[in-house]
Amino acid sequence: MSRTRHSFLGLLLFTTIIFSAAVVTAHGQTKSPADTTLELKAALVLTPEFCATKTKKGSFVSGKETFEIGKAACTDLEPALQTVFSSLTRVAAVPPPEEVQVVLQPKFSDVDATKTLGAFSDREMVVLLEWTVTDRSGKTIWIETVQGSAKHHMGNAFTHNKNLKLIVEDSVRDAAEQSASKMSSSPELRKLTQSAPRPSLPPEK
Amino acid sequence: MLRTDLLRIVGILVALSLVPPAYAADKFPDYPVRPASDYAIKTEKAGVTIGVQPIEDLKEQKTYFHTELSPKGFVPVFVVIQNESNGDSFLFDKSSITYGPADSSVSTPEARSKAGERIGIVSFAALSVTGALIAMKLISNASWVQENILKKELQSKTLSVGTSTHGFLYVPVPTNTPRQKITLRVPVTRTSTDETFVLELVF
Repeated sequence: MSRTRHSFLGLLLFTTIIFSAAVVTAHGQTKSPADTTLELKAALVLTPEFCATKTKKGSFVSGKETFEIGKAACTDLEPALQTVFSSLTRVAAVPPPEEVQVVLQPKFSDVDATKTLGAFSDREMVVLLEWTVTDRSGKTIWIETVQGSAKHHMGNAFTHNKNLKLIVEDSVRDAAEQSASKMSSSPELRKLTQSAPRPSLPPEK
Repeated sequence: MLRTDLLRIVGILVALSLVPPAYAADKFPDYPVRPASDYAIKTEKAGVTIGVQPIEDLKEQKTYFHTELSPKGFVPVFVVIQNESNGDSFLFDKSSITYGPADSSVSTPEARSKAGERIGIVSFAALSVTGALIAMKLISNASWVQENILKKELQSKTLSVGTSTHGFLYVPVPTNTPRQKITLRVPVTRTSTDETFVLELVF
């Protein structure tokens, strides 16, 4: 009787392990749309004006602060989006339509940062980045606003500038990562990969 | 004696600096979201439904923003936009929204930054006589209020099939007279045909 019960439990355990392994394997092999690269030739437009964007906040009483968001964005956006598109080129101005399939244009929609009195109190920074994606005819096919945020200590007289730089970098990096995620999972951009004609490649030298 | 007092003051200042503001970021509750068609003020066109709820009650404004916005000249309007079409995506561009009195020309709603700045100025001006330290503390509190206003604002978005977006618009209203009926015009563009149509709501 006892042996039968043990055999049954053993069989049940074995079946569970095999089933779990099968499920895990199947899950690993099934790629969600967001995991696959968009087969599009994209141009990321980072204009000198965008890269030089600075936001000044505060007053004489509360202390003026300058947030160099453009500099951080022009460092983070390209690497974050490289994995999303099969081809991504950074450009300073909108390229001619025959060169790319989609043009990605970011714009800072808004920026804000809280202030605290205590050097060890956490402050929060929020960066709103608005994307406009156009196709080769110049038609807007996708717009999205991502909200990047980060928290850091306010810092004291000696550490404030370093903390300010960190909070700007982290909130912009968060916005860049979210941009990549949103583009990657966008049905509109995925649809374009099926319909858009590939641009002609320049002749090899 | 003097030294003890000084130590006490320094101790209090240090303790104060370690206490986060009473209404730090996480304390702002989210406004409850319902399907767009559930709102009393709603409209529908081509499968896109928009529902709005103006938050006129000062108590409610206090709850969700920790400040009264109407006396500062803004009424927060909660907006839900839903794409219930069969297969179309729509572009919603916040910057193209217009508003105005029901029977006049329209203008663009105030950007959140202006609403936020006005709050900052009001807080600062009201407390400037109570000492730099307290003023700084209150300004820092206002910065959480301002950031919350920004985070809750309705943003531009592509509405794929079956998706929705929501957030607040801050519509300017007169502070000393009862407000007139407001018309809100929300253009959306169908991505497949590039056709733009306007959904209109009166509240």
